[in-house]
Amino acid sequence: MKPFLLGVIASLSLALPAFAYDGTNCKAPGNCWEPKPDYPEKVEGSEYDPQHDPAEISKQGESLAVMDNRNEWRVWHMKETGEFEYDVTKIPGYEEGGTPPSE
Amino acid sequence: MRNILRKSMMNVSPLALASAVMVGTVGASPVLANDQLVELAKDPANWVMTGRDYNAQNYSEMDEINKENVKELRPAWSFSTGVLNGHEGTPLVVGDKMFVHTPFPNIVYALDLKDPGTILWQNKPQQNPTARTVACCDVVNRGLAYWPGDDENGPLIFRTQLDGHIAALDAETGETVWMMENSDIKVGSTLTIAPYVIKDMVLVGSSGAELGVRGYVTAYDVKTGEKRWRAFATGPDEELKLAEDFNEPNPHYGQFNLGTETWEGDAWKIGGGTNWGWYAYDPEEDLFYYGSGNPAPWNETMRPGDNKWTMAIWGREAETGEAKFAYQKTPHDEWDYAGVNVMMLSEQEDKEGNMRKLLTHPDRNGIVYTLDRTNGDLISADKMDDTVNWVKEVQLDTGLPVRDPEFGTRMDHQARDICPSAMGYHNQGHDSYDPERKLFMLGINHICMDWEPFMLPYRAGQFFVGATLNMYPGPKGDRENGLGLGQIKAYNAITGEMAWEKMERFSVWGGTMSTAGGVTFYGTLDGFIKARDSDTGDLLWKFKLPSGVIGHPMTYQHDGRQYVAIMYGVGGWPGVGLVFDLNDPTAGLGSVGAFRRMKEFTQMGGGLMVFSLDGEGPYSDPNVGEYVSGEDA
Repeated sequence: MKPFLLGVIASLSLALPAFAYDGTNCKAPGNCWEPKPDYPEKVEGSEYDPQHDPAEISKQGESLAVMDNRNEWRVWHMKETGEFEYDVTKIPGYEEGGTPPSE
Repeated sequence: MRNILRKSMMNVSPLALASAVMVGTVGASPVLANDQLVELAKDPANWVMTGRDYNAQNYSEMDEINKENVKELRPAWSFSTGVLNGHEGTPLVVGDKMFVHTPFPNIVYALDLKDPGTILWQNKPQQNPTARTVACCDVVNRGLAYWPGDDENGPLIFRTQLDGHIAALDAETGETVWMMENSDIKVGSTLTIAPYVIKDMVLVGSSGAELGVRGYVTAYDVKTGEKRWRAFATGPDEELKLAEDFNEPNPHYGQFNLGTETWEGDAWKIGGGTNWGWYAYDPEEDLFYYGSGNPAPWNETMRPGDNKWTMAIWGREAETGEAKFAYQKTPHDEWDYAGVNVMMLSEQEDKEGNMRKLLTHPDRNGIVYTLDRTNGDLISADKMDDTVNWVKEVQLDTGLPVRDPEFGTRMDHQARDICPSAMGYHNQGHDSYDPERKLFMLGINHICMDWEPFMLPYRAGQFFVGATLNMYPGPKGDRENGLGLGQIKAYNAITGEMAWEKMERFSVWGGTMSTAGGVTFYGTLDGFIKARDSDTGDLLWKFKLPSGVIGHPMTYQHDGRQYVAIMYGVGGWPGVGLVFDLNDPTAGLGSVGAFRRMKEFTQMGGGLMVFSLDGEGPYSDPNVGEYVSGEDA
């Protein structure tokens, strides 16, 4: 009986810390996260490391820059001609990644 | 795609473009658009933006339809959009015209209110159909924005497209004036938000946090489409566009460098925080308000930190985009409580009797927050329902939620009976505020969940969630039979009390509209429009619509008569099982199981129903709209 009870108490004491994070123990204003007990402070190198590919992570930023560049050409062309052209390859002088001529 | 898009640009009006460019280069008109929008909104005949006016109160001063006669409402006319899928949002009315939007393919119709059987114009963009595959929760769209024009430019309608474009349409002809790329579906970014006009800018948010999209809001010049500014939800302070005095009145919310320091490594670059909900604006303060959504992925173990500034209520200067304050409601979210919900502005006396400019926000996490909108002070934070269990309380002095660790989530653990579910106790519904009664009329979900995370790598353009969910009715519903998934309540933000509350069979997903007639209208997922007494919640009238409702009602006046209109078309997140014929209860991010009974009550459809007393309207004279030889040429 005793070993069983001890086992229950031991498992409870192991389980309880995992329930400890309530979000009010702040390191600094606005920075209050804590790792749950038995979980890592950093996931890199841990069993929970998602091992993201840096090339994948950079794709959003690259995509935004390219879209913004095309939009700049569209706006420039509209201001120059009074006509809107969506297809940037039809805009005279367009070059991918290039800056539209200054107005 | 470009060829297809080229076709859509063939209808662009050179005259409209020329005049737009001329003014864009010469300078701004002295009369700003928001001055005109404020004036237009003062006329209760109009409904010029999604929330009726900049206060986003969804409240009408009209009382021709009131609690005494609302039972006499009958259909006056209707309109099929020709599109199935979920119809969120509500139409706009300006003068004699109504502007109706649809889900993908995002058609816009202009109807003549004198003879709504006549479609004045329609604009159907040709979009890359791949957009549908990266939309998280059906292919919804939440509405349009109207720019009233100035001395030299005609009015414009703005539309977001699921494929990530923002387009300006000539409000008189429907011709496309310009169209810019805002979001790239190749990296999972779409657009479902209603655009929002402030001054001579149109604001556009972003969608795709379920695919790891880093959220941002962008302002474009209405006349040229030129980007004025862009502000992100995560990352370096300069990209967040934090003002020098950011959060100065409430430094305990956190101030600088937290957009990177509360993330591990580069996780903020794929960290979500998109904004696809609603905006509100205070012209006196020149501050606009909105919420940033959930961090990505949903699996919390993969992203240590508070994950700022996802899940935040933002107050930004419209002119510059700079943030004056941000308050993070759910730091380090573990439940997908995406904080994009409606912000309703009111002026009320606080408990000490001081008149204050308030912002009230029913959040997905089950808390209704009220802030002083001039500085971000937290005034109240009340549970929408006493069954909210992830949090014990929100400390008003620190702003921190005191989490109940029993309902936290983590890897290698299945958390059970978390309330609310990931759908929140409140989602995208645009609710209303009745200033006479000082009551917020809240359409509420009553859904709880089990949650089990799993690991996955980030791949741009692919789903990045990392959790399996089971959802079911909350404790006050009927779990055995899968019903009792919604509520409607009238909330007083000063006392924190509910004036009344009623259960519903399904979520009240679309929101509410209240009127000076003492009536609160809303639609239900099982396909009714209902009217309740704003004082008591008593059910006064209802009408069965062709399909379920996920949008919010509106009201307008034409020819001296008040009408109530609502879009029908079941779908959205609660409808994905029905729309895509799914049966696995964990599919649709858990909604399929929760709403498994819905198909017994409604099916897909898409359109608009318009009601008036006794159904009187443009066709009360049967000769209106009749064919007369030679006149339709």
